[in-house]
Amino acid sequence: MGDVILTMKGIDKSFPGVHALDHVDFEVRRGEVHALMGENGAGKSTLMKVLTGIYKKDSGTITYEGKEVEFHNTREAQDAGIVIVHQELNMVGDLTVAQNIFIGREPVKGIRIDDKKMIEDSKALFDKLKIEIDPTAKMKDLTVGKQQMCEIAKAISHNAKVIIFDEPSAALTEKEIDDLFAIIRDLRAQNMGIVYISHRMDEIKVITDRVTVMRDGGYVGTLITKDCTKEDIINMMVGRVIYEEPKTHSMCPPDAPVVLKVENLNAGRMVQDVSFELHKGEILGFSGLMGAGRTETARAIFGADPKQSGKISIMNKQTGKLEEVTINSPVDAVKAGIGYLSEDRRRYGVVVGKSIIENSTLACLEDYSHGIFIDKAAEKKVTEKYIEELATKTPGPDQLVMNLSGGNQQKVVIAKWLVKNSDILIFDEPTRGIDVGAKNEIYKLMNKLASEGKSIIMISSEMTEILRMSDRIVIMCEGKKTGEMDIAEATQESIMDKATRNIK
Amino acid sequence: MEKFKQNPVVKKIGFNRIILIGVLILMYIVFCVAIKGFAAAGADHLMNTLNYVYFLGFLSLGVTFSIATGGIDFSIGPVMFCCALIGGYCFNSYKQPLGLCIFYIVLVGLAFGIFNGYMIAYQSIPPFIISMASMNIAKGIGAVFTHVNSQSFPQSSDPVNGWFTRIVSYDGFPVGLVVFTVAAVICGIIMYNTKAGRYILCLGSNEEAVRLSGVDTRKYKMIAYVICGICAGIAAVYFVATYTTVQPGYGDQYNNEAIAGCVMGGTSMTGGIASILGTVIGVFIISLLQEGILAFGFGKDIQLIVTGIIVIVAVYADVTARRRKN
Repeated sequence: MGDVILTMKGIDKSFPGVHALDHVDFEVRRGEVHALMGENGAGKSTLMKVLTGIYKKDSGTITYEGKEVEFHNTREAQDAGIVIVHQELNMVGDLTVAQNIFIGREPVKGIRIDDKKMIEDSKALFDKLKIEIDPTAKMKDLTVGKQQMCEIAKAISHNAKVIIFDEPSAALTEKEIDDLFAIIRDLRAQNMGIVYISHRMDEIKVITDRVTVMRDGGYVGTLITKDCTKEDIINMMVGRVIYEEPKTHSMCPPDAPVVLKVENLNAGRMVQDVSFELHKGEILGFSGLMGAGRTETARAIFGADPKQSGKISIMNKQTGKLEEVTINSPVDAVKAGIGYLSEDRRRYGVVVGKSIIENSTLACLEDYSHGIFIDKAAEKKVTEKYIEELATKTPGPDQLVMNLSGGNQQKVVIAKWLVKNSDILIFDEPTRGIDVGAKNEIYKLMNKLASEGKSIIMISSEMTEILRMSDRIVIMCEGKKTGEMDIAEATQESIMDKATRNIK
Repeated sequence: MEKFKQNPVVKKIGFNRIILIGVLILMYIVFCVAIKGFAAAGADHLMNTLNYVYFLGFLSLGVTFSIATGGIDFSIGPVMFCCALIGGYCFNSYKQPLGLCIFYIVLVGLAFGIFNGYMIAYQSIPPFIISMASMNIAKGIGAVFTHVNSQSFPQSSDPVNGWFTRIVSYDGFPVGLVVFTVAAVICGIIMYNTKAGRYILCLGSNEEAVRLSGVDTRKYKMIAYVICGICAGIAAVYFVATYTTVQPGYGDQYNNEAIAGCVMGGTSMTGGIASILGTVIGVFIISLLQEGILAFGFGKDIQLIVTGIIVIVAVYADVTARRRKN
C-alpha cells in the first residue's frame, strides 16, 4: 500500500427528510483495494456521488493528491482521474467497442473521426489489461462480462488514478469474476487506488485490502481485511449475526408428489429439450452460468416468451393427478397456479409508480371485485395481512412501491403471488440487489413457503445461495440441462463441472 | 403550506387540483377586470364558455384514458367531425330519424375506437402512428361520405326536432352541464373503481410487469381506446347540438385543446397517472381561455398559439416534477 491519495473527512449531506451522510470519513491509498460496505441505504452510493460531483456536500472536506478539491460534475472528477465503473453498464449496443470507449472524445482527423487511431488505442488499452476483445465488434454482441471489461478499459483510458467499482460482479458469473479480479489486481499493482462496492462477502475477503463499513448514513469503522472475519464485517453492517444454516440434506420428503412436470421443452436457442420434475414442498435450484438458459426456461414455462414444443403438466388440486396444461401466455400460467418472480423487479416484477395495495392484488383483482367494481376494503385488508406476515417495512399499504428498498419490493412481489394463492413459485435471482440483512429474510421466507407446501424453482447465479437453499439442483449449460443432483451429493466443484460441460 | 398539503380533504382532491381551481377563478376575475363588458355580459360569456366545455369535455375525458395507458390519440378531433358528418348526412340526405342518427354518430366513434385500440393493443403499432393515420382517414371519410358538403342539424325553432338543442340547454337551464358532470363521474368510477381502470393505470406505469402478473394487458389497452372513441362520438353529438353545422376537413385543432385540458389537469403523458377531476377543471380553463381571447378581440389564430403554449407548459411541468422526484 502506498501513500494516501484521497481523503474524505466529515462529509455531511442531507436531503429533505433524510440525513443521508452523517460526518463520514473515508480514505483511499495508492495501490490498495478498499471495500466500501453497508446495507442498501447505508449511504455508499451517496458518498461516491458526493465524491464525483453528482451531489454537492453540505460540509466536510475532500483532499485529493494533497490538495483540497470540490468537483461540480463527473466530467471534472474524470479529468482529475477519479472514475466510476457503474453497476448498470452505460454502453450503446449498436456502436463498436472502440466507439463506445471513446464516445464523446473521439480522435479526429480534420472533421472526420479517426477510426483507425481509435481502434489502435483500444487495442493498446486491452493489451494493458491483458484481455482479448475485438475493438471492432458491436457492443451488443459481447457477453455481460466482456462489456464490463470494456467499461473498465474506458475508465482507465481517462488516465484514472482512483477507480470506483460499484457492484461490478452483480451480473457476472464466477469465471468472469475471476477475470475481473485479475484485472483489479493488475490495476492495484500499477499503484491505482481502487474502491470496491459489493454485497458479496466472499469477494470482499478475496480481493480487498481494507474494508470501510457504513450504516444508516454514518461511518462505522475501517478494518484490515485479512485480520477480520466475515462475521466481524456483518456485525458492523447490521449489528447481528445472520443467515440460514445451509442444507445438508433435502427437506422435501422422498414421496412428495410431483406438482410440475416439464418434458422436452424447446424455446429458441436458449432452451433445448429441457425436462425436469418439481415436487410438492421442494426448492429446486437452477444453477449455471449467465446465459445458460435458466431464465429463458422459466419464461417459456410461464408463457412470457413463445415456445416451439414441449409438454407441461401440473397437478390438479382436486384430483391430485398430473394433467397436461396449455400455456400460451402468462394469463394461462397464472390460472394454472404458477407465479414468476423476475430477476429484474423494477422492470418485470412491480409497478413502482403504484401502491403496495395495487401491486398486491394485481394478479387476482377479480377475487377482490364485485362484478367490475373493486372491493377496496377487502383489498386493503389482504394487503395489510401480508405486510404483517412477510414483515414488509412500510409506513402503510398506500405507500408507493418506488419508496421501498429492494428487499421490501421483493416482498411485495411475493405477496402478489401469495394473494393469488399460486402453488408453484419461480424465483429468478431472488436476492439480486438486496442487502445482507434483507437477504436472509427472503431465504427464511422461501424455506417457510416450501414447508407450507408451496413448490419453488429458484434460479440463482450465486453458488452459496444454490447450496444454501436447494433441496435438489438442476444444472444448465448453453440451453441444455447438463445435470441434476440431490443437495446431499452436491458440491461447488460438481456443479461447476456440469455448468461448463458444453463449453469447449 | 405543508400543513395545508397534508389536510385530508386537500390530499383527497389533490393539491395541484386546488391550485387549478384557483387559476380558473383568477382567470375569470382577470377577464372581468381587463375586458370591458366581460362582466356585464357575464351570462353570455359563461354560456359560450359552457358550450365549448361540453364537446371539448367529452373529448378530453376520452383521451384521458388513452394517455393513462402511456399512449396518445391524435385522431379524436377529426373523428368527432367524421361522426357528426356521417350522422348529418344520414339525417339530411337519407332522411333517417334524428334519434337514429345520434345513435350512428356514437357508433362511428365506437368504430374508430375499436380500430385504433385493436391496431395499438393487438398489432403493437405505436399509438402515435395509428392515431395520425386515423386522423387522416377520419377526415377523408367525412368528406367522401358527404360529397364534401357541410351538414346542418335542427335549430331550436324546428317544430319536430327542436328537442335536439335542448340536450344543451332547456330554457336557460344547462342540461349539457348536468350530462357532462354525470359522464365525468362515470369516467371517474371507471378509472378508479373498476378492474379496467386499475389495469389501464397500472399498465400505463409498467406494462410488462402487469402482463407478467397474468393480466391480459392487450384487452385493457384496447378498452381505453374504445372508451376514447365512444367519448369522441358523444362529443360529436354535443358539437352539432350546440353549433348546428359541421364542415368536412376540420377538427384537428380540438386534439390539442382536449390533450391540453387533460395534461393540465395532472394526467401524465408518460402514462400511469390520470386525474378525471383534473381533466374537468382543465377543460374549463381551456374553454374560458378561448372565450377570453375572443373577448379580448383576438382571433382564432391567437387561440391556436395559446393552446400550443399551454400544452408545452403543462408537459414541461409534468416532466420536471417527475425529474425532481427521481
